[in-house]
Amino acid sequence: MPAEHIMKSYDEELSRLNKMIVEMGGLAESQLAAAIEAVAKRDSALAARVVEGDAQVDELERELDNLAIRLLALRQPMARDLREIFAALKIGSDLERICDYAANVAKRSIALSQTPPIQPVHALPRMATLALGQVKDIIDAYIERDADKALEVWRRDEELDEMYSSLFREFLTYMMEDPRNIGACTHLLFMAKNIERIGDHATNIAENLYYLVHGKALTEVRPKGDNSSLEVVAPDRAGSR
Amino acid sequence: MSLSLATPQPAEETAQPGETSPESSLPVKVQIKNVGFRYGKFEALKGISLPLRDRRVTAFIGPSGCGKSTLLRILNRIYELYPNQTASGEVLVDGVNILSPGHDLNLVRSKIGMVFQKPTPFPMSIHDNIAFGIKLYERLPKSELDDRVESALRRAALWDEVKDKLRQSGLGLSGGQQQRLCIARAIAVEPEILLLDEPASALDPISTQRIEELIAELKSDYCIAIVTHNMQQAARSSDYTAFMYLGELIEFDVTERIFTAPRVKRTEDYITGRFG
Repeated sequence: MPAEHIMKSYDEELSRLNKMIVEMGGLAESQLAAAIEAVAKRDSALAARVVEGDAQVDELERELDNLAIRLLALRQPMARDLREIFAALKIGSDLERICDYAANVAKRSIALSQTPPIQPVHALPRMATLALGQVKDIIDAYIERDADKALEVWRRDEELDEMYSSLFREFLTYMMEDPRNIGACTHLLFMAKNIERIGDHATNIAENLYYLVHGKALTEVRPKGDNSSLEVVAPDRAGSR
Repeated sequence: MSLSLATPQPAEETAQPGETSPESSLPVKVQIKNVGFRYGKFEALKGISLPLRDRRVTAFIGPSGCGKSTLLRILNRIYELYPNQTASGEVLVDGVNILSPGHDLNLVRSKIGMVFQKPTPFPMSIHDNIAFGIKLYERLPKSELDDRVESALRRAALWDEVKDKLRQSGLGLSGGQQQRLCIARAIAVEPEILLLDEPASALDPISTQRIEELIAELKSDYCIAIVTHNMQQAARSSDYTAFMYLGELIEFDVTERIFTAPRVKRTEDYITGRFG
């Protein structure tokens, strides 16, 4: 069965679309990795570079959208081609959000570096590295158009959610023990939330990749490990956890 | 080697967009059963089986020579006008096999109307173009005949454009109007099934859209089969799509599924422009 379109230019345009996603994926990985390093090493200069680098991703997303619109208008794509373009639009949007969150983490790390280091900070890079693994794996899955790999990433998000729930409790405990920690811990809370959202976007990408390959949606309900919204904090039980 | 699915039926549980009842409850107007066709030694159709549902449009797509027009011509036995052509299998219209030798051909032709790619108005007035067919089957007083002519022209969305020139020749109309005249002529004899063979391929885009809009309106009263080489037209106008290749039915399904996620690779290769 021929893999190429009769119109060669159609193949070239689809290939360009694919390259853009891969490039955005690469940026998402490098931005997140740099943000983690900026937190761990309290490196404000690196953090500032991550923040600046976000503009490049936004520009790439605009180019991607334009190319996708062009393909929809001029090629009347059908079946797999249509799903490729649709998935590229959605995945591009998810990757752009991942980069935003990475930049947010980097930005907050600058404020965090200006306060004395506290114990809970060490948990954050661990969580972020888990999220980075998900991003790396889902980009690999996209390159290979591997729906099984996508499903695997999709399932792993539960672990990230659980880590977030546990960090949430840890930060709260720290804040209750000493109000001087509230500033730093609040930043850490937001940063942990951002990383949790990165994981969610990686699962979105997994869902879109699955649809691209199989032409139908993932109907399993994703197990959600984030119970933080159900957390009740009672001050008189602070020491009992 | 046959690539066709064993029973190419759409998934029974899938409802059409906008419909509340499952498709499987829609009556089948024409059941095509294992239809084959030869002319001379050449086997043009092999074992075609599929349903044409009432009040629905079924489109036939496929590359040149795949047999889609041949199949259409079997449905009203118009192939019998030519020598050395033989059909096998059954075509059940409301349960009755119209291919059986004893079956009344005129009844078939009155129940099943056909419109061709090139508009073929008779060299007569617009009025007589429509009246001609009616008069073959019925004896009507003039006023009733005129009513039937008007009704057909209205149904074909042509009345407003021709009501003041009914005595003028049908040949003086534009291509799009002539085609609507042919559709009016087909529906004037009150058929139940309409066969359209590339009805818009000779027309400009605006006329094409008018024809497609007309098909969308007519659908509520007829079982419609349309052959088209224009995939976008099949995608826009039909409820079901059958993809044919080299005389075989490769895939048959709800149109939306054929064009978003076809099950057979050859179908996908065709509709995405990877061969054809």
